[in-house]
Parts: sequence; C-alpha cells; structure tokens
Amino acid sequence: MNITKRDEAEQCLACAMSIGEQLLISGAEVSRVEDTIRRVCMAYGASRVDVFSITSSIVTTMYCDGFSPCTQTRRVTGISNDLNRLDELNQLARRICAKRPAPESIQEDLAKIMEESRYSFPIQVLTYALISGAFSVFFGGDVKDMVSAALIGVLLKCFESFVKRETENTMFTALLCSAAGGFLANLAVRAGLGNHADLISIGNVMLLIPGIAFTNSLRDFFSGDTITGLTRFVESVLLAIIIALGFALPGFLF
Amino acid sequence: MSEIIQLAAAVLGTLGFAVLFNIRGKKLLFAALGGLLVWGVYLIAAHITANEYLCGFLASVMLTVYAECMARVHRTPVTVFLVSAAIPLIPGGALYRAMDCLLRRDWEGAADSGSYALLFAASMSAGITLTTVVIRSAWKHFRKERRM
Repeated sequence: MNITKRDEAEQCLACAMSIGEQLLISGAEVSRVEDTIRRVCMAYGASRVDVFSITSSIVTTMYCDGFSPCTQTRRVTGISNDLNRLDELNQLARRICAKRPAPESIQEDLAKIMEESRYSFPIQVLTYALISGAFSVFFGGDVKDMVSAALIGVLLKCFESFVKRETENTMFTALLCSAAGGFLANLAVRAGLGNHADLISIGNVMLLIPGIAFTNSLRDFFSGDTITGLTRFVESVLLAIIIALGFALPGFLF
Repeated sequence: MSEIIQLAAAVLGTLGFAVLFNIRGKKLLFAALGGLLVWGVYLIAAHITANEYLCGFLASVMLTVYAECMARVHRTPVTVFLVSAAIPLIPGGALYRAMDCLLRRDWEGAADSGSYALLFAASMSAGITLTTVVIRSAWKHFRKERRM
C-alpha cells in the first residue's frame, strides 16, 4: 500500500518508530536505528524523512506530498543487549521495505517478536558461572580461583534477579551486586576455597562492568554520533566507579 | 601452554556472553569461534610487536572482517558478531582497575590503567570503524560492477 491520507501516514510512522525503539532497546547502533526508520517510511512513499536518535530518544518527521508533515517522538529507557530480537527486527524491517504490508499486520509481527523469550533462568545461572570462571582464568587465576569464581557467579545471578525485582535503578543494583561479589570473594579466600581474592573478583567484575558500553561509546565518537557517545561514556565510567566501590567495600570488613 | 589456557578461557567467556546476549542456534558457535580468532590474532601480534594498542588495532581489524563475513553468511546484522566476538578484547578489567585505584587514591595506578583502558578502547574503535568503512565501500563497488 501507498499512503494517501494523513492518518495512514501517522500509522505507518508509528510502526516505524516502534521498530526503531525496539531496535535501540535491543542494542542496535544509533545509525542503524535512524537508517531503519528512514527506510521504512520511504518505502511507504514519504518524500522526505528526518530522523534524529540518541540512546534515550528518537525524533522523526515524515514529509509526504499532499498533506502536512507529521512528527512523532519516543522516549527510550533501559537498554539491554538482545541480539536475537535485533536480528528478527532487522528481518521484519527488510520484509516491510520489500512488501509494504498494512500497518495492522506489522503490529502483529512486532508483537510476535516481543513475545520471544530469553534463555531460561537455569541456563543463565550456568552462564554466569561460565563467564566468571573463564575470566578468572583469563586474567591468571588457578583452578581453585576458577571454581570459587564460578560458584560466586551462581550466587550473584540469584542475588541479582532478586534485587532487580525490588528496584529498577541500575546503579543501585550494580552497587549491591558488586558489594556481594567482593564479600563472597573475600569469604572464599578465608574459607580456603580460593587463593587470590582479586583474581576471583575480576571474573565476577567482568559480569557487571560496562566494558562493551565503554568501547561502543568510543565507536560512536568515531562514527560521528557525539552526543550518544558522550552519554554512553559518562554512564559507563560512572557505573564502573560504582562497581569498584562495591567490590572495595567488603575490604573494610576483612 | 599459558596461551592455550588463555585461548580456551577466551572462547568460553565469549560463549557465555553470547548466551547472555540471547544469540541462538548455530550463531552461538560462530560467535565463540570469533572470540578464539580475535584473541589468537592478538596473541600472534603480541609476539611480533610490544605495542599493546597496535595488537588491539590488528585484532579489531580481524574482528570486523570476521563479523562482516559472518553477517553475510548468516544474513544477520553485523552487530550480532561484532559485539559478541569482541568480548576477549574489551578492556573491562583495566577500566575496573582504574576506578579501583581511584578509590584507593593511587593516582599513578589510576592514570596508568585509565589511560590504558581509554587508549585500548580507542584503538579498537579505530580498527573497527576503519575496516567497516573499507569493507562497505568495497562491497558496494563490487556489487555495482557485477550488475553492469
């Protein structure tokens, strides 16, 4: 279908914005989000589309011949990496550009994508153990450090899901989790389970530290998205300070 | 020997993060393989040059080439492999140490680790951005020629 009326244009724009919003939440780069929204709107016959996005907001104005332009904005909160969803949203956007379905069917497809779940809780717990153990060895820990880091990883995942149920503040969650991690690492060394508290901790640190956001912020600078880069840079450095503080806190107890 | 252990740890760490990022099916395996490849290139480069930033740059070039190829093979966005296979390179440990030193008022250590984390991330970003630009324009050129 091609747009002929203003309310049709608004419906199409809303669909494009929803896809862009979900892409951003799933961890797509800002340039991909802007590009996807522009392509979808252009596919429905817009004469010009202006998209501006940063990590927390998207603004789009769509110009069509025959009626006044329409603008929509979205406030985006909470970014979590879900690369499977990103992949499916990308496929959906490609399908829309090729076939131009009615907005109602896009909403259905989008709802279907949103329903798909993540890996189950037990698998995520095992993954935490795997990552902690692997990075403890990666930074030079021995077998005993690896085992205790993996065990602490299991406890951390359970603790984290409990804390996340109570509060939505990421900084506070990170502080509590890292304090628990530091405490358990010191405890493990005291109990003779591990040898080096710092090498056990580093495995657990890697679960929490925003290293990817930090690297991506520099990538944003290089590709010209300065505001996004600045936001992500400040966020990741602040979070890193909080995590370091959390892991240092139990040191006063021992 | 220690390098083989490091490689194994890098693969398992990458696999773990790939699961956390909800990568599914066969792609999980290729993400982990990417981690192995990237850390392998880093270790080889570390044998040739003592400059860690250059090693990081070369490994990121390899990472981007791998991610772009895999994205075309599996028909997914490049981000899927670019984010997951980069895991062994990410200077998260240095970032943590910098903040830890900062809290202990060890200014020298903070400056050392902090500048390392920043410069390493910058050299990675430079490698990724540069390679992406080169590959994309080469690909565009190639497809245009084939159409003619």
